[in-house]
Amino acid sequence: MASSFWKGVVGVGLFALAHAAFSAAQHRSYMRLTEKENETLPIDIVLQTLLSFVITCYGIVNISGEFKDMDASSELKNKTFDTLRNHPSFYLFNHRGRVLFCPPEQEPSTPSAQALPSNPLRLRKLENYH
Amino acid sequence: MLSVSEMLKMRDKLRKWREENYRNSEQIVDVGEELLNEHASKLGDDIWIIYEQVMIAALDCSRDDLAWTFRFDAILNDANKLYDSILQDDPTNTAARKRKISILRAQGKSSEAIRELNEYLEQFVGDQEAWHELSELYINEHDYAKAAFCLEELMMTNPHNHLYCEQYAEVKYTQGGLENLELARKYFAQALKLNNRNMRALFGLYMSASHIAASPKVSAKVKKDNMKYGAWAASQISRAYQMAGRGKKENKCSVKAVEEMLESMQITMS
Repeated sequence: MASSFWKGVVGVGLFALAHAAFSAAQHRSYMRLTEKENETLPIDIVLQTLLSFVITCYGIVNISGEFKDMDASSELKNKTFDTLRNHPSFYLFNHRGRVLFCPPEQEPSTPSAQALPSNPLRLRKLENYH
Repeated sequence: MLSVSEMLKMRDKLRKWREENYRNSEQIVDVGEELLNEHASKLGDDIWIIYEQVMIAALDCSRDDLAWTFRFDAILNDANKLYDSILQDDPTNTAARKRKISILRAQGKSSEAIRELNEYLEQFVGDQEAWHELSELYINEHDYAKAAFCLEELMMTNPHNHLYCEQYAEVKYTQGGLENLELARKYFAQALKLNNRNMRALFGLYMSASHIAASPKVSAKVKKDNMKYGAWAASQISRAYQMAGRGKKENKCSVKAVEEMLESMQITMS
């Protein structure tokens, strides 16, 4: 979520660009009317165009989020084996998670599920993720 | 009651777990349940994919109230018929074909699952997930040559992924024999080149180099080279453990344990 400041910057930049374009068109028609077609565009319109362009670009870059590295392998440096072999389209559900994770009121007749102490590995992982 | 910022944090966390294929179902169920019960309206279009993610996690935890399903094995045959009918209507539906293969795998019919997956891959050659699943099936059947082939396909399309290199090297190491060990050592080195923090590849390099050096059939030069590689790998391993243990009190004991372990892993000719 980009902050509204940068969105405002992009808006101001675009508006200034449109304003400069309008002024240039008006100046052109004024030149045509007064038959002085050899005069160049006034310098303030040129400056306004360039400045608003730079402001718009800078604002858009700040809106669009984090940059990624060019090096393709650097993104993978943090990937581990834990998640490599999880393929969501091939997930199976007939594993012991059915007994391990089930809420206690559903299976009162299986003492092994109740006797399971709070799994220390799971708790440690919870701390890492939360 | 959660504030909006907490809701955004939870949503981003769920997205991270979804994109990186984490299967931490208990946490997904906890976070997702709270998110869906309280902020369903603010999620917008994301809500459908979050529903799907939470449903799969709920199936993992057998939270039938959340997943609105029956017991898995009771409906397997109906599921099969359903997938067949979907495939009749639309033969290019890859998701249905993959679920059929998973059903075969869940029923324990791994050779049929392998056959079906091979047929699927003949038609859809670019499916990375399926290639990896096939390599896993072959490894379970101890057919390492074919598993190596599948991993080679994956490495060809993802040359920058150090984990595929490393898994390929591990399969080659398991196959054994001098050429496979040399190949394994080379691919472990490649994995390290791609990511120098990969500890498994470092250990693999050490093991394969010492294995080659201890083999009776090699020339003296090869033996010397491999002992050099093994020594380098061992020094990198102890250095990594020392860096990791910096600032902790048990550093000396753990470093000593690592050195003892490296010595015990030395393959000596008996």
